[in-house]
Amino acid sequence: MDKKKIEATAIDTDRRDFVAGTASLIAGMMASGAASAAESSVQPLAAPATQKNTVLVTGASRGLGFEFTRQYSQLGWRIIATCRNPGNAEQLNALAAENSDIRVERIDVVDHQSIDDLAVKYQNMPIDVLLNNAGIGGGPENQLFGRLDYEVFYEVLAVNCVGPMKMAESFLDHVKAGTQKKIITVSSSQGSISQVSMPMLYWYRSSKSALNMLMTNLALQLKRRKVIVGLVTPGATATDFISPEFRKRIPGIREPAVAAADMMRNIDKFTLENTGTFFNYDGDIMPW
Amino acid sequence: MITFGQLVLRINKLRSLVASGVLVLVLGLSTTWAADDPEFADDYVPTVFITGANRGLGLGFTQQYLARGWKVIASCRKPDKAEALNELAEQYPSLLTIEQLDVVDFERVDALAAKYSETPVDVLLLNAGISGGNDKQMFTKMEFAVFEDVLRVNTIAPLKMSEAFYNHVKSSREKKIITVSSSEGSIAQANMPRLYFYRSSKAAVNMVMKNLAMQLKRRGISVAMVNPGPTDTDFMAGLPKSMLRPTEDAVSDMIRNIDGLTVETTGSFYQYDGTIIPW
Repeated sequence: MDKKKIEATAIDTDRRDFVAGTASLIAGMMASGAASAAESSVQPLAAPATQKNTVLVTGASRGLGFEFTRQYSQLGWRIIATCRNPGNAEQLNALAAENSDIRVERIDVVDHQSIDDLAVKYQNMPIDVLLNNAGIGGGPENQLFGRLDYEVFYEVLAVNCVGPMKMAESFLDHVKAGTQKKIITVSSSQGSISQVSMPMLYWYRSSKSALNMLMTNLALQLKRRKVIVGLVTPGATATDFISPEFRKRIPGIREPAVAAADMMRNIDKFTLENTGTFFNYDGDIMPW
Repeated sequence: MITFGQLVLRINKLRSLVASGVLVLVLGLSTTWAADDPEFADDYVPTVFITGANRGLGLGFTQQYLARGWKVIASCRKPDKAEALNELAEQYPSLLTIEQLDVVDFERVDALAAKYSETPVDVLLLNAGISGGNDKQMFTKMEFAVFEDVLRVNTIAPLKMSEAFYNHVKSSREKKIITVSSSEGSIAQANMPRLYFYRSSKAAVNMVMKNLAMQLKRRGISVAMVNPGPTDTDFMAGLPKSMLRPTEDAVSDMIRNIDGLTVETTGSFYQYDGTIIPW
C-alpha cells in the first residue's frame, strides 16, 4: 500500500468532511430558518427540550440489549431501543409503556435502509452513547472444521462487523452532537486471538477479531474529533445467545442484569485518553 | 578345561554375536518401518502448493522452491497470461505444474483437491490476497460489498483450501499450512486509521488460522502466518522503492520462517525477521 498516499487521502477526507460539515452546518442553520417560516410535511423529530443523556441500543428486545435498556432507564436516561421486530417485542414494549423516555424503534442492522431512516428521523437528537449490541453466533454446528458452512460466515459478518460500522457511519453526527460522544460495541473474549485456547466457533470468533480491528481503526480515526470508541465484553452470559443445554456446561455463567451492569460501568470509564480499549467485564483490559 | 583367558574370549565372541544379531534385527526393523512409510525415503521430493503464483511473492516462492529442488504446484487465476510462470515451467518441466485456480471458486478448489488426491502436499502456501482498494474503505464512504470480497479472498479462501487439502497435507512429510498474512492485521500495532477492510480481513484470518493450529496440532500438522514486510510487488505499487524490500529477500525470509516452524511453534505469526508479531 502507498502509505503516504493513504495518509494524504485520509487527511483529504478529513478536510472534505470538515468542509462538508461546515457547509451542512451553515445550510442547516439557513434551512432551520426557512423551516420555521414554512412547515415541511415530513419532518424529523424536534430536538429534545431537556438535557437528558441519550443512548441508542441495537438488539434491545431481549438478553443484554433489554437489560441495557432497563438499567439505563433506571438511571434516568432517554433510550432509543431498537430491534428487528418491535411488534413482537412484548417485554420491551411493556417496559416502554411504563417509561416515556424509552422509544422502541425498528432497526435490523443488516437492513442499511432501516439504519439510515432512523438516523434521519432522529437527526436533531444528540446521542451520548451509540451502543452496538446486536450480534449473532452463527450456530456452533455450522463452523466445525471439515464441515464449515461458508454462507453462515457472511451472515455473521453482516451482523457482527458491518452492522456496527454502518451504525457508526449513519449516527456519527448524532454522537458528535452528544455530550459523552461514545460509540461502544459489544465484542467478545472469543475475539481475543491471544486468549482462545480451544478450537471452536471459527465464524463467530473471526467476526469479533475483525470487529476489534474495525473499531481500533475507528478509534484512531475519531480521536481528534473528540469521539470515543470502545469495546466491551459481557463474559459468558445466560441469554438466548447460548443454548440452554450449553449454558449448563459453563461454570460461573452470569445473569444478563449483572453482565449489563458491568459493561455500563466500563462504558462510563471510557475517555478520549483510553479510546480504543477492549474492556473485559471485570474492568481489566482484554489483550487482542 | 578352559582357561580364564579363553572364557573371556568366548564371552566376547558371544557378546559380539548377540550384538550383531541385535544390529541385524534393528536394521531389519528399520527397513520394515521405512517400507511402511515410503514418503520418508531418502529420495522423497517435497511438494509445495502455492496460490496466487503468477506474480509478486507467489512467483518468488515458486522460483525459490524450484531452485531448492521441490515440486511446485503453482496456481493462479489466469495461467494463459502468466508468462513468467510459463517460462519457469519450460526451465523445470519435471518439477513445476501450473494449475488454474481462483481461490474464491470453491468448486474448482474441490476439483483440484480431487485431482491431487494421491499427492502429499508438504507446504500448503496460501499466498493469494487482495487489498480491496484504499478508496473503498474510507470511513463514512464505506463500500461494504468490497469488504465481503476482501474477506472472501483473504480470510475464507485460506480456510476452504485448508479444509480441501487437509488429507494431502496430513499424508506429507512436512505437514505445514502457511498463510501469508500482514502486519496490517496486527490490532496491537495499528497506529493510524487506514484500510479498514484489508486490516480486519487479516485480523480475521489470524483468528481462523490460530483456531486451525489448535485443531490440527495433535494430528502433527503445523499452521502459521508469515509476514513479508513491505515488498516491491504490484500489491504495493505507488510506494517509493526505498521503502520496499526486494521480493527475493521477502520470500527467502518467509521460507526461513516456514522451515523453522514445528508443531511446538504452531499458531505463530512470524515477522520476516523471525520475531513474533503481536495480535
